Amino acid sequence: MPLRVVATVTLAFVLVAGALLDTVHGQAGEYKIGVLEPLTGPLAGEGKRHLEGYEIVRDMINERGGVMGKKLVFAVADAPDPTAAASEANRLITREGVRIITGTFSSRLCGAASEAAARHNVIYWETSCVDPRFNKRGLTNVFRTEIDGTGFGWYNVEFIAKHLAPRFNLKPNQLKIAFLSEDSSYGQGVTESARQRAKQEFGMQEVAMEYYSFTSINDFTPIIAKFKQLNPDVVHHIGYTNDAPLFWRQAREQNFLFKALVHAGATGYGSSDFGRALGNDANGVFALLEPGPGFRLEALRPEGQRIEREFREAVQKRTGSYPFGAHQLAGGGLWLLKVVLDKAKSDDLDKFRDAVMSLDLPVGSVINGWGVKFAENGQNANERVQHYMLQWQNGQLVTVWPEEFTTNRAKWIPLGAWDQRK
Amino acid sequence: MDPARRLGPAQIDVVAQLGVSTVLLGGIYALVSVGLTLIFGIMRVVNFAHGEFLMLGMYVAFWAYTLLALDPYVVLFVSIPLFFGIGVLTYVLVMRGVIHASHNVQIFTTVGLSTALQNAALVAWTGDYRTVRPWHSAVVIRALGMAFNLSQVVAFAIAVALTLVLFAFMKWTHTGRVMRATAQDHDAATLMGIDTDKVYRLTFAIGIACVGAAGVLVSPLYAAYPTAGLQFVLLAYVVVVLGGLGDMLGAMLGSLIVAAVEVVGSYFFGVAWKEVFYFVLFIAVLVLRPAGLFGQRGAETLGV
Repeated sequence: MPLRVVATVTLAFVLVAGALLDTVHGQAGEYKIGVLEPLTGPLAGEGKRHLEGYEIVRDMINERGGVMGKKLVFAVADAPDPTAAASEANRLITREGVRIITGTFSSRLCGAASEAAARHNVIYWETSCVDPRFNKRGLTNVFRTEIDGTGFGWYNVEFIAKHLAPRFNLKPNQLKIAFLSEDSSYGQGVTESARQRAKQEFGMQEVAMEYYSFTSINDFTPIIAKFKQLNPDVVHHIGYTNDAPLFWRQAREQNFLFKALVHAGATGYGSSDFGRALGNDANGVFALLEPGPGFRLEALRPEGQRIEREFREAVQKRTGSYPFGAHQLAGGGLWLLKVVLDKAKSDDLDKFRDAVMSLDLPVGSVINGWGVKFAENGQNANERVQHYMLQWQNGQLVTVWPEEFTTNRAKWIPLGAWDQRK
Repeated sequence: MDPARRLGPAQIDVVAQLGVSTVLLGGIYALVSVGLTLIFGIMRVVNFAHGEFLMLGMYVAFWAYTLLALDPYVVLFVSIPLFFGIGVLTYVLVMRGVIHASHNVQIFTTVGLSTALQNAALVAWTGDYRTVRPWHSAVVIRALGMAFNLSQVVAFAIAVALTLVLFAFMKWTHTGRVMRATAQDHDAATLMGIDTDKVYRLTFAIGIACVGAAGVLVSPLYAAYPTAGLQFVLLAYVVVVLGGLGDMLGAMLGSLIVAAVEVVGSYFFGVAWKEVFYFVLFIAVLVLRPAGLFGQRGAETLGV
């Protein structure tokens, strides 16, 4: 065979292979997923922050080759209430033709949206709602990267029993605990799981349990008067953004003294609005969240350190600040979707599901220091979705627990007089 | 026994504090309700956008405090004429067109206005919770084992003053008499040469000025956000029905009753029960005394 022919064939082969490789890395075409968030209505503030988190991580993903060889793009829809969440999920599927939907921030929305997706056999990838019922409906198309509300309760009681009690010089079963909570599925989910674990596993003494509606609470003084007489060591309060500052301000006015207040989630005490509303009067409150300032990157596995650092830098570049909880939930969740799609190489539900179930990453492997191990019901294991206790210290929520993950230490234990927390 | 229910000498402090809480919370409710009872009583218009004007008042206080460092009590003097003007404008642009229409049309109109204002606030100022922290919001007065928040005491004092001024205005001034006459019989008032359009415009403007002032006064106590008005508006309806339509002193007493039901019910039975209690009261009043606890018999159907 003449040398020229061999050379031509080789050259042709190299060109074709190069073109093929180029297709993979050059993102020929786009891959569209649906993003549902409340962008108007009462939840809009948080919803917009979640969308920002998605956009930041979408750009990170596209810089690294996209998903399934294509550029990842969003079809964004507004879901201010459960009805809109369901109808917009339908529209994304039937009009936009998406095979994967992600969202939705709120426990009020994720149930309705995911059921609509289930009717079309479309993958529903929830990154932030915590309603424990979400994964208990026998749906094979729903997955959740964030822990459920029972996980919040589990971590809160873990912190109270193993960190606070010894520092009060009390045994867990000597602790008196008062539960206060708003009455949505979020508040109830967290509170009921915390109550159960506090009582059954640690024998803590529950002295009060009060639910209220955050849309109509205007005065906590009767509750505070009652709590003062019951004299709890710990107040476990799951609140929203208008009621948490009201309780804290009135507790101070009434000089209600207790040893610690523990909350969970990015609303209420966990929201930056709380710090703005109270300034240094916020000092001492605990909120279970994603990692905040003080978080030690070195405590993560090498691959987790790398991606967490890149994520923080991307958020810093876009917003000029440390990631908020909303960025961390949405961003961390979307990154896991990429990890799954890299493995499944398909949005076919069966192949996708197999890829989800085969993932087994220890804590510290991905954004937020999370690990991954999904159960058959589509829930990422609560113990892999590592959560952290943050504390308000002089205008900032800083990471204080577990101590191996942070350079900061919890202060004001027990909380002293109201004017001594400086 | 539940220690909260044991009443002994040690509990006297608690009873006193519950009393103080009732009075101060009642003051807030009265502030919000007094403008509503005026509009409801004279114009017979159910203004579902009332809470949104409260929300606008809170935002006015927030922006004045944040941008100009003005104390809400200074802003109060500006906000009264400002909201009077907003009231006139709303009447001319929106309410005048539906004032003689059926109640259904009025309800659709004001609910529409309410939703439009909420979403305008959302677009303009986002859904963030905004708080004003003037020096007096952190001042606590302690006396005889009770605690009073200074901003709340001031809000209560102004609520009482506003109620008395409006009461006197309605009872003893010529304009007040004209307004009452229009409420009692619109047609006869017109025949007597009363310009009812002018009366309605004035009524609506005063009502909105009151709720705008209320928004400014509650701003140190509650966060401002686009749907902040909903927190209070349902309660304001209970108060207005309890007190009797258009009855200023009735609104004050109604506010205190609603606050007492809420505070005492929350202490003894749990805060989850509070809405059950005052809506049972609301229904009972509607069934047994439709003119309100203090209203004139038959007044509920006047002019409808």
